[in-house]
Amino acid sequence: MKRRDFVKSATMVPLLPASGILLSIPRLADAATSSKTTSSGASQTGKVLPPQELPGYAENFLTSDMLGLGSDGKPTGLLATFTGASKANAKAEKAMKHKMKLTKDEEAILNGSEGEEKAKLMKILVKFGNTFGAEKLVDLGGAPHSNMFIGAGYMGSMIKMLDQCAKAGLKSYAPYTVNPRPYDVYKVNNNARDMEMIYEGYNLQRDLEYVHVRLGSPDLNKRTCACYVDEIGNAPKPGTYVAWAESSAVNYGNSALGLRTNRTGAGMDLLQAMLGKSPLFGLMTDEGRRAQWLIKVKTTKEPDWGAVGIAIGRKCVEDIPYITGLDKYFKGGKVTSENLHLLKAMGSATASAGAVGLYHVEGVTPDAKQKKRKLLEKGYKTYVIDDKEQARIIDTFPNLWPEKNGDPTAAFLGCPHNTYHEVVKWGKMVTEALDKAGKEEAAIPVYMFMPNPVRDRLVEEEGVLASRMKRAGMVSTNMCSVSYAGMKGFSERVRGVTNSAKTRNYSTLRYFPDDVLVKTIVDGKIPKGA
Amino acid sequence: MAKKTFKGRPILSGDLKGKALVSKKQAFNLTGSYLENMFAGRTDSAPCTDPTNKELYKKDLSGSIICTTQTVGSTFGSGCIMGMNDIGVGPKAYLFSSHIDSISASGLIMDDVWNERRVITIDLLGDEFLEAVKTDDPIAIHEDGTVEVG
Repeated sequence: MKRRDFVKSATMVPLLPASGILLSIPRLADAATSSKTTSSGASQTGKVLPPQELPGYAENFLTSDMLGLGSDGKPTGLLATFTGASKANAKAEKAMKHKMKLTKDEEAILNGSEGEEKAKLMKILVKFGNTFGAEKLVDLGGAPHSNMFIGAGYMGSMIKMLDQCAKAGLKSYAPYTVNPRPYDVYKVNNNARDMEMIYEGYNLQRDLEYVHVRLGSPDLNKRTCACYVDEIGNAPKPGTYVAWAESSAVNYGNSALGLRTNRTGAGMDLLQAMLGKSPLFGLMTDEGRRAQWLIKVKTTKEPDWGAVGIAIGRKCVEDIPYITGLDKYFKGGKVTSENLHLLKAMGSATASAGAVGLYHVEGVTPDAKQKKRKLLEKGYKTYVIDDKEQARIIDTFPNLWPEKNGDPTAAFLGCPHNTYHEVVKWGKMVTEALDKAGKEEAAIPVYMFMPNPVRDRLVEEEGVLASRMKRAGMVSTNMCSVSYAGMKGFSERVRGVTNSAKTRNYSTLRYFPDDVLVKTIVDGKIPKGA
Repeated sequence: MAKKTFKGRPILSGDLKGKALVSKKQAFNLTGSYLENMFAGRTDSAPCTDPTNKELYKKDLSGSIICTTQTVGSTFGSGCIMGMNDIGVGPKAYLFSSHIDSISASGLIMDDVWNERRVITIDLLGDEFLEAVKTDDPIAIHEDGTVEVG
């Protein structure tokens, strides 16, 4: 079936954030040519089926976070409930009897006092809460953050549900933020090949965005995964219950901001936003925020934050780490606009290599400041990350470029989205290095991922630098870098380099420290020995 | 084979008889397993498209009773569950040996309540369940969460 024929006839045409792990496995299109057995339907369960041609863009899109596969692509046997609370010891007999206590008002909603749609949402939430042993429902505060950013065809059933809610007049309890769009047809995907894939693959993007507008997220300029930066301002006070989705935002919110949220799946985030309530369990409880791991960072220099995050994610999976040895990088134990990117880089890597939804940094993060090592559970395990271990972790990052010794063709900076401080830092590092080398323009395009208000602030406060960055070939975009790095054919046409351990985890991009990246951007070659 | 009985927690209960489709060596990757249905418009069946899953790869997932530890993968797995049920290629049941994960729980419960499309879901069946069950074994699921293998 040709792609255009398919698009005309089918309702399901998706795209997904991709995983780098899939690149070590056989190409689906190749694997799909060898099967000979024919069968179909439910009665043929377990039979081997012949393949059907996938549209070109599908083959590089399998999945993301915590696949339960090792860096060798083999199953690890590791599991995660994605709620941060290990349920390994849960027993069926006890679990099936659990029922949350509901207030009279909640019972009334369940019985339809506020309409059929809200009653259904409440029924879903109660069932979900009971499944995870929640004590009760709690009122949400601050503002929601949603990861519903992909208007792909297979999400149609969920988008339809949300549309029905919007038509019934339901709305989020507060204006909310949403993850960045998966494309930017102005600055990054401004070519016919990308646009064709985007408009076919994200065929429900318009419907999804119309849903968001009606449910309470009207501003596309504020689309970002880093909703907590000053320019966006979705950073509720410590202790606030929220129901956030997006692994890196959940991870940062729980840890650096001291919020209380579970790692919510797509759709469940907006459902909870419409009810303004969340089941109290897992990472929202004192018990669920206790640490099972003591992580001692003992590197002789400032650690590679992304590599440390990957190491922790692989080791802890969804357990909670209590990390020591990092407070010296946060003056006075304060997380500020100038240093939050360190936690953002480390935390997002823990969430992508594992399923860590919360970490504590001794002397820095709110829970750790308040409770100190009392957060450690009895019988906790210890993991030391020293220079040798950090190097060992970095050595496990394979070179996935098809042409392994080729020169890089683009740099990708900022996943999760850059803070203002990072943008200025990178702008100065790159342009000063170019000036020193007597060059006007970088050897390769540099994509800088950031929310639009961060870009606007740069223009307003550092206009000369912004202008120089533009001339140097540094492109500001508010799209999702992982979505771009996962596009069909990306690995064949782009040999990318990045400062994001998270993006590396999902793509063919190669991960390097900042100084190596600056040289690479200026010279168009990876320095020898890097 | 001798019949073995296991007791789990019925999250979405029901009675069903059929044959097992087992992924015991690794958790079931929701979004990675339905690529032909998600991307290529296939609606007559659901060949597993996750090549890392040696036990399920290319086998028909449509209308099956999937026996596994948990599901893994993208947080959009919840949407995938609803989407596959919408085009009629979802499984008839999920039998999990461990505690259900929040992604599949979200999709399964939302679809059950909002769209009245039930995929029988039982978790906490224990490691011994997966040790005992093999693909194509006869399975009987009961309303109270009891699962008979053999």
